[in-house]
Amino acid sequence: MIRLYHVTKRYGDVHALQDINLHVAKGEFCYVTGPSGAGKSTMLKLLYGAVRPTSGKLLVGGVDVARLKRRELPGLRRNMGIVFQDFKLIDTRTVAENVSLSLEVIGTPRADIRRRVQAVLSIVGLRGRGDDRPQTLSGGEQQRVAVARAIVNDPSIVLADEPTGNLDGAMAIEVMEILQAINLRGTTVLVATHDHGLMQRFPYRTLRFRAGRLESA
Amino acid sequence: MTVFGHVLRRALRSLWENLYLNAMATTVIAAALLLMGVYLTVQYNLNTFVDSWDKDVHVSAYFHTDVPEQRRLDLRDRLLDDPAVARVRYVSEDEARDWLVERVDGVSDVLDQLGPGVLPASLEITATDPGDTTALARWADDLEGPDFQAIDYGQEWIERFQAFLSVLKLLGALLGTLILVAALFLVTNTVYLIVYNRREELEVQKLVGATGAYITAPFLLEGLLQGSLGALFSTVGLWAVHVLLIARLQDALALGMAGELAMLPGRWLVLLCVTGIVLGVGASIVAVTRFLLRTP
Repeated sequence: MIRLYHVTKRYGDVHALQDINLHVAKGEFCYVTGPSGAGKSTMLKLLYGAVRPTSGKLLVGGVDVARLKRRELPGLRRNMGIVFQDFKLIDTRTVAENVSLSLEVIGTPRADIRRRVQAVLSIVGLRGRGDDRPQTLSGGEQQRVAVARAIVNDPSIVLADEPTGNLDGAMAIEVMEILQAINLRGTTVLVATHDHGLMQRFPYRTLRFRAGRLESA
Repeated sequence: MTVFGHVLRRALRSLWENLYLNAMATTVIAAALLLMGVYLTVQYNLNTFVDSWDKDVHVSAYFHTDVPEQRRLDLRDRLLDDPAVARVRYVSEDEARDWLVERVDGVSDVLDQLGPGVLPASLEITATDPGDTTALARWADDLEGPDFQAIDYGQEWIERFQAFLSVLKLLGALLGTLILVAALFLVTNTVYLIVYNRREELEVQKLVGATGAYITAPFLLEGLLQGSLGALFSTVGLWAVHVLLIARLQDALALGMAGELAMLPGRWLVLLCVTGIVLGVGASIVAVTRFLLRTP
């Protein structure tokens, strides 16, 4: 599903990633971990095309992301779900409207959107909260809305950048359980985190980065 | 069709949520178009005046008082033989006096006191082609002689006025360009504020796979509406300026020498409306493109 060949990313003189080679299989659950500045977020950004590698080859679902034109990025992202530490929810929209964004951009009819949004809100345990505003929800609930938005269009990959970073223990576990459930349905999941407790509780393959290098995979 | 429905809903929502900024953009467009419209109205009327004067341009040749009546009529007939001459009118001293007395109150007594010969008889020669300045100049030269005391060659003045109008047109083009660029700058920055207000939503849309066209489309609809409303308001404003200000100015200054001051013709108003729409849509494209290029 994901293949990197000698991928390097530099910001000026700073090496964010150096000569990374790795393979993540379809349906796999992986942690991307390491101390701050190790290159975790850069790694995820490379995968969804927010930044381009300085050198090397990067394949996602067989597509060479480094060679994609700007106008081709939406096609790549429609097959991905992305979850952020700060949720990136729109305060002026309801929970249901936030989740439906992923479906609106691909032109899904409104009736289908309503049906799928209700279904996915049930999966993340927020049935009946569709009309609420994000700011009326707890941190854990907001992150579950973000996860719902990421999975509502059935992506083949979910990338989560520190999804539990702003959550307390119980809420973090809830979010991880949802990501685990998504993975069990066959979706490839990459979670960037430095929460060792979570990694021990939900043990999966770990890609460990340090100073831009992949220490262990 | 479904995508268009989503786009339309987002555009209407954004219009409502950013009512103040949209009103500001519309006002700027309306003000710019109104300024251009007022300028174009002035220029259009000046052009109309010059055209009407141009059609009436003629050479006036004033006889010496001692030239016999028969000699004057012979000269008139000779000029009529010239194919470039459309009309020659002989205006006798009495006719000239009647013309002036009819138009200026109390001048009759003054003319009586001054005695005969104050208003000489004249020939008014009109060319077949009013624009044929060469023919007019030729007659002006030919008529210089013992029979005439003065030749009034009106074309010269009109040419000077036309040169002034050309300068005015050039200044107008420069002014129009400046107004348009300033309006584009102001509207672009206003639309950019709307984009900035919605930046979080737009960033998320990009992350979930929205294309540039999908993100831009609602802003284009907003720009279209801003431009159309701006054009409508400026047209109403132009009409109000015409009725309330220009018409009163005309009365006050008694400028009615070539009929009523006219409102801009329909095709010019259509051009102004198109300019407004292009301004609204263009500013939206510039503002959204600027945002899209800055976000990953």
